[in-house]
Amino acid sequence: MPDLSLAALAAHRFGFGPRPGELRTIAGDPRGWVKAQLRQPDTLPPQIAALPAAEDDLLAFGRWLARRRLNGGNAARLEERAERQGVTQEELRRLSVEEDFVENFRERATRAVAARLEAAITSERPVHERLVHFWSNHFTVSTAKPAAIALPPSFEKDAIRPHVGGKFADMLRASSKHPGMIVYLDNWLSVGPNSASAQNPRRARRLPGGGRPTGINENLAREILELHTLGVTGGYTQADVQSLAAIITGWTYQRARLRDFISDARGERNGGALFEFDADAHEPGPKTLLGRTYRQEGVAQGEAALNDLARHPATARFIATKLCRHYIADAPPEAAIVRVANAFERSDGDLRETMEALVDSPEAWETPRAKFKRPEEYAITLLRAVDARQLPPGAGIAALTAMGQRPYAAPGPDGWADIADAWLTADLVWKRLEFAQAFSNRIARADLSPIALGDACLGPAMGDETRTAIMRAESPAQGLALLFGAPEMQRR
Amino acid sequence: MLNRRTLLAGVAGAGALSFPLFAFGQALTTDKRLLVIVLRGGLDGLSAVAPVGDPSYASLRGRLAVERATALQLDSTFALHPNLRKMHALYRAQELLPIHACATAYRERSHFDAQNVLETGGVRPFARTEGWLNKALGALPQSRPEMGLALSAQAPLILRGRTPVSTWSPSTLPDVNTDTMARMLALYEARDPALAHALESAMSANAIAMESGASDMNRAGPRTITPLAQIAARFLKDDGGPIAAVMEVGGWDTHANQGLEQGPLARGLTALDDGLDAFKTEMGAAWANTIVIIATEFGRTAAPNGANGTDHGTGAAAFLAGGAVNGGRVLADWPGLARGALYEDRDLRPTTDLRAVFKGVLADHLRIASAALEREAFPASDAARPLQGLVRT
Repeated sequence: MPDLSLAALAAHRFGFGPRPGELRTIAGDPRGWVKAQLRQPDTLPPQIAALPAAEDDLLAFGRWLARRRLNGGNAARLEERAERQGVTQEELRRLSVEEDFVENFRERATRAVAARLEAAITSERPVHERLVHFWSNHFTVSTAKPAAIALPPSFEKDAIRPHVGGKFADMLRASSKHPGMIVYLDNWLSVGPNSASAQNPRRARRLPGGGRPTGINENLAREILELHTLGVTGGYTQADVQSLAAIITGWTYQRARLRDFISDARGERNGGALFEFDADAHEPGPKTLLGRTYRQEGVAQGEAALNDLARHPATARFIATKLCRHYIADAPPEAAIVRVANAFERSDGDLRETMEALVDSPEAWETPRAKFKRPEEYAITLLRAVDARQLPPGAGIAALTAMGQRPYAAPGPDGWADIADAWLTADLVWKRLEFAQAFSNRIARADLSPIALGDACLGPAMGDETRTAIMRAESPAQGLALLFGAPEMQRR
Repeated sequence: MLNRRTLLAGVAGAGALSFPLFAFGQALTTDKRLLVIVLRGGLDGLSAVAPVGDPSYASLRGRLAVERATALQLDSTFALHPNLRKMHALYRAQELLPIHACATAYRERSHFDAQNVLETGGVRPFARTEGWLNKALGALPQSRPEMGLALSAQAPLILRGRTPVSTWSPSTLPDVNTDTMARMLALYEARDPALAHALESAMSANAIAMESGASDMNRAGPRTITPLAQIAARFLKDDGGPIAAVMEVGGWDTHANQGLEQGPLARGLTALDDGLDAFKTEMGAAWANTIVIIATEFGRTAAPNGANGTDHGTGAAAFLAGGAVNGGRVLADWPGLARGALYEDRDLRPTTDLRAVFKGVLADHLRIASAALEREAFPASDAARPLQGLVRT
């Protein structure tokens, strides 16, 4: 018996909402529809496959930095000239470094964001795409840090996408070895105090600014423990942070040379291929983490430590809690957490089996609309509902920035918040509704019935008040805006 | 009393109507107002409030040393950066209190962590999830639906917590159809109280913002301080408006070519100077009952780095401004810049705890009870006793 109610719940809770007609397909077996998408796909979405490789993004960033340095030192002269020519300080500010960067990278950044959004709005496997977004947020690499600004899209492509239906340990290793994470959380600046580089600083690699790194940087190690594996209550100490930091000293990436910038060559290598172990910067000797001593040499020491962290019961619990919070409720039910954590442990961190346990949890199919969609998810819901194939102009970075969630730009390494309190604020709700209205005005046509669209998108989940409000609308555009703003579209 | 028609008329920009949501439930309550300006990125305090009288300053700072000749003299030791002319006038009117060599409890050098500690009022980063200003506002009589306002799309951490606050930021999208919003609100009221509350609050905030020329603001874009400061003033000076507002200003992380009288730092200081002046003008008579706190997460290194900028440091400068401030002096237990005096041989040594400043303002200006300050807003801050005499009596 087809169940359109469960189909709507599945489509919104586990995907990004249905494309037209999709609800009927799902209704035959909503649970099966979700589970079938948990398998690791064989290919990347075409939009993602077409993006430049990590190496190319790094080259482009390096070229820009080099150009900026060449042109530096002229600020005073530029300001004099501005005054002579009647250019205001305000206008001059548009030429500031940040703006210059945006100018230079607008196309690259816009393309990456558009690829992510289009992959989600056209996907036949929206459940998989949602998981990509989830894991990409769990392992946040953000453009909010200038040094990492070129890297989040390739990080997601190289370190996250291949492992969404695979093993957590593999994703953790890929994340910790990707230049995106290594730059974002400063591990390339970390040097063991007893390493060859520290003993003989002239041997150490130079930083872009000309200096040389001088000691341990704990940033990545701390976040691996706190945000990626055990969680803040996972039972580790400051000594464990320092120990893990020492263990992964020397984990860095192959940096381009000035000659590579000049040649204008395209970079072809992905982030994994750029990983490099700098033995000179590695702190020698055995280290003890969470009571276990690691005696391996070189990169194997860190790999062993990460493997153990990935298997730790606190990690299972932390990941299960985050998944249940993401899919079920802001305060996730304990029974579901336990079930999912057990599946994680039993399967040695197999993410497909872990998610199957979540999908099989009765709690995942109860309490409809317990979650408030984040802005990006919300925008994708609307685009899928109207069968968009490409991102309409204006629906990209600017709109999502206004709604508070510029893709790839999470404010900190803990990623975007996953509870309604962070998003259900006066101004953000207003910005959403502005977006919903502007979008409705653009797509409204006489032959596009808001009610039919609502039925296709929500099925029986559309409430009577919503239906009435849409039917009483004074224009198709207003009807669409009311549909798009309705609680049923914003919650899942 | 509020009904939806006045609310929506307000949204439509009808200037004659005032501030419906904020206007109900007038209780006996404070007429004091507080604006907190968070400077994100780490303001270079040794440029903003230059210790030109310190014998080590000129040599230590080299090309980045503010010259005594152009600096705006405060006392025998300190001078303001030449671009802070309007703030200097406030100082002479005893309405500006520069604070130097101050810091939170945090002693590392990460922006994320330092801002987290600055805003939570805690001891360690990410140990608390609510902001000290939210906690402090929660200790006051809840005289309006929203006690605080963030001039940003999301409330910054300092204002996040259980006490209801509102948010407002300029729009980049075209004007909305108010009739559609009215219908939306009716739908929410029938189906979804949380969305209804958020939308009502947004409409109310927009009504106030419209009156103060937010449509111009929307065109100008969000990057300037002055228009946003004017809108903050419009909210704060309204009888039923929020008690406290928060603005965030970025761009202070001057690692390279920070400049002296020109360059990114100088431009930022000019914008801050202009913004504060515009805020004062817009506040009008209410300025007399107002304190502005200007604070940053940490200072910058005492000496310039190789890129003619400065790196993350420790001791910082902060400001109190406003008609209610007991100003006209510099608050600093100056540790000096001699080699041995620096913190970890690189930073200005912090000698004043910022929490003591915040607590002093909250206690004497907003009359927040001591128990709430110590237990709720700034736990484990016994050593940082509220500073006395910050507020004009």
